[in-house]
Order: sequence, then structure tokens, then C-alpha cells
Amino acid sequence: MHIPTAFDSGSTDILAAANTPILWICALGVFAVIIVQTLIYVRAVRQAAPAVGMTSDELKTSFRTGAVSAIGPSLAVVLVAVALLTVFGTPAVLVRIGLIGSVSYETAAASIAAGTMEAELGGPTYTQSVFAVAFMAMSLGGAMWMLATLIFTPILKRGDAKLRRVNPAVMIVVPGAAMLAAFFALGFAELPKSGYHVVAFFSSAAVMGACLFLAKQLNLKWLREWALGIAILTALVLTYVAVSSGLFAA
Amino acid sequence: MTTVTGHDAALQTFDRTTARWGRLTMIVGLLISLAGPAYLVFFSGLEVDQTKILTAFLAIAGTFAVIWIVEPLTYYPILGQASMYQAFMIGNISNKLLPSALIAQSAVNAKPGTRRGELAAVMAISGAAMVHLFSLLIFVGFMGTWLVSVIPEDVTKVVQTYILASVLGAVVVQAIVSLKQLRATIIAIVVSASVVFLLVPAIPSLAFFSTAIAVIATAVLAWFLRDRSARLLDDSEDAQLADTRNR
Repeated sequence: MHIPTAFDSGSTDILAAANTPILWICALGVFAVIIVQTLIYVRAVRQAAPAVGMTSDELKTSFRTGAVSAIGPSLAVVLVAVALLTVFGTPAVLVRIGLIGSVSYETAAASIAAGTMEAELGGPTYTQSVFAVAFMAMSLGGAMWMLATLIFTPILKRGDAKLRRVNPAVMIVVPGAAMLAAFFALGFAELPKSGYHVVAFFSSAAVMGACLFLAKQLNLKWLREWALGIAILTALVLTYVAVSSGLFAA
Repeated sequence: MTTVTGHDAALQTFDRTTARWGRLTMIVGLLISLAGPAYLVFFSGLEVDQTKILTAFLAIAGTFAVIWIVEPLTYYPILGQASMYQAFMIGNISNKLLPSALIAQSAVNAKPGTRRGELAAVMAISGAAMVHLFSLLIFVGFMGTWLVSVIPEDVTKVVQTYILASVLGAVVVQAIVSLKQLRATIIAIVVSASVVFLLVPAIPSLAFFSTAIAVIATAVLAWFLRDRSARLLDDSEDAQLADTRNR
């Protein structure tokens, strides 16, 4: 027996499940926790500042400078987040992409999770059940970052020589290689799906390359920040044009 | 220093407060972030096979476990204890929080790794957090949700179907450019292409863990084929850097 609700395991209407009030409440809960943390921290800094000779003006300057320099990057994150709303719904995008995680890790995690269920994000196999599992799995993945922080920070604070003395080459080579392989493997897996996927992937890569090249040549810091959003939107527009014109229609 | 002066006491209080409340708020944040998906899985009436969650999580762990551990270790010397609990909850560390902290430190002439630098970074990250929270709420929470409700269905369909390919194309280029590790990049391309285009078509049952296989193989190969001549130099430089940061 099944009570008719917004929920239907086989339905591909992801947003009906992804935008339910309880998820909104949880998302706003994370916002509230960060605000509380910030208030406690600012108060703690105010009390400690005289000990290192920092004036109240210097504290205000630091806060304001941090806030102003975050405007560009924050809006750049907003742009990418909006593009992902139809895939994950607003609450999941706010928490996973806007806050705790980042665009690249969270979409990668969700795609890996969907893959283990032989489903594709956004495809006809992307049902509410698949979304629920993918959301749970990517959230558990994000929780591991926090868990590692909770475990390692006190150890590092005590100055554990062993952790600090981990071969620096390991710390640079291994994670870099892991990250590259993860994104390449997931990216390549997109290509055989259809000609349109190829258009999306390579146009995005080309625009990103062009943006980063121009940013470096002309020393445009804002372009580097916005490159990801610009590349994704351009790729989606080009793919939309290709789909509408029936470029690869059978 | 062996004697505890008033100043030291003030800083010790700061360390205690931020450690206790930083940890506590992070644990609460962690639990709330899991509560949402847990509700969908266990209480919404969706039929979810729970072993699927474990499989999906293991596939993600195979891919990212190294990064879960290495990132906190890497950022600690730059962020300091207090900001660690902020940064890993607010997210977007390298593209937003670190630049904010560094700019604020230079605005008040505070060096990273010093106490002044630590306090300036906490203030800067707090400022960045507030801007970020409000821009997310307004532009994604309200305007974004409205935007999604008014865009035509065929546009939504294209976005849903091709968003992943569009994100990954750009992210791959970003990773190559920001890491600047030619050797590892070539290894990653060759290994990932062989896994996706040769191994998985040959043995389809490996598809579940194809990304993890590519990641682990690349990490191992990149380690054994690393540029050893450059390493010695890096070693001593990093050790020196770590020493200065310790103070």
C-alpha cells in the first residue's frame, strides 16, 4: 500500500522530491549553524585582539576586506549553482554546492553514485530513488571531509611531528593525480553517450581554456573566478542549439 | 615561553573557545547535512535499497578518500585551528575563503602563520561567510528557484541531460591548469581513457568502480613515475616552510 504523496520511487520528477519542505528546513539549518559559529568566532576574536595588539579598526577592516573579496567568487558560485538546480533541487544545491562541498566534487560524487545504480544524472533512469541514494552518498562523502577535519585539527594543533613530517612529495603528487584521474574518468565516460554530450564536454573545455588563457595574458582576476560559470553556460547554450537543430538526430 | 602572561591567557581562551565551539558547530552542521538525505531515504516512503547507498558510498570513497585526508592536512598550516572549523563547513575554500583571508591579512599587515594573521583570517572568513550565505539565499534560494519554475521545459531537459558533461569539460581544464603537473596529467589521461574505453567495455561488471580504479591506478603510477630530481629540492623547501609556520 502506498500513500499518494510527492514521492514516487520510479518517478523522474526529481524536483517534487528534492524541493520538499523538510529538505528546505535542513538546508536553512546549516545556514543557521554557520551564522551561529560566525557570531561566536567574531566575539572570541574581539576578546583576544588586544593581546596581539590588534585594534578594533583592524578587525573591522579584516571583516570588510574578507566580505568584499568574497563578492565575486560568491556570485560565480551562484551562477554554477543555479545551473544545477534542475538536477538536485534547491536545498541540496544550497548545502552541497553552495556550502560544504564544491561544484566539481559534488557533481562528481553524485555521478559516481548514480553510476553504481546503472543510472545517469538527468537521464530517463534518474528517478527519485536514484536521487535519494545519490544525495545520501554525496552527503556522506562530504561528511568525511568534516570528519577528517574534526579528527586531524586537534592532532595538528598538538603539533604531532609525524603528521607534519609526511613526505611532502606524497602530499603533492598523490592528491593531484587522484583529482585529475577522477575528473578525466568521469568526463570520458560522458563522451560515448551521444554526439551532444561530446559537444557539451568539448565546448565547455574549450571555453574554460580560452578564459584561463585570457585571464593569464591580460591579468584579469575576475575572469578566472567566473570562468567555470561562463564555460558551463556557453556549453549548455551550444548544446541546446545543437539539440534544437537536430545535429545528431538518427 | 614558560611564564603565562595575561596576553598568553587571552590567546589560550581564544584557542579554547574556538576549538570547543568550532568543533561543536561543525558536528551539528554535519548532522543536519545528513538529516536531509536520511529523511528522503528512510522516512519519505521512497523505496530505497539501503545496500545501494553503501555501494555508492564505497565507489565515492575509492575515488576521493585520499583527498578527504590530504585536504585538511594541507590547509591546516595556512588556516590555523580556528578557521579549519569554519572553512570545511562553509566550503569553496581555495576559490573563495583563502583569497579573502590573504587579502585581509595584507590589508592589516598581518603575516600568515602569526597570531595576528590568524585573527585577521578568522575575521575575513567570517565576512566572506556572511556575504556568501546571503548571496546564496537570495540568488539561488529565491531567484534561482523562481527562474527554474519559469524556464521552458525543453531548456530544463537540455540542462538536466548535459549539465554533467558541461561541468566536467571545464573542471578537467581547470584541474590541469591549476595543478601544473604535466607528468601526472598525461598519466591520468592515459589511465582514465584505458579504463573507460577499454577495460569497462571488456568487463562491464567493473563499471561500478571504474572511477575508483582509474584514480587508484593513476595515483600509484604518478607516485612511482614522479620526477625524483625535483623532489629533493621540494623536500627541503617545504620542511623550511613548515618550520617557519610552526612558530
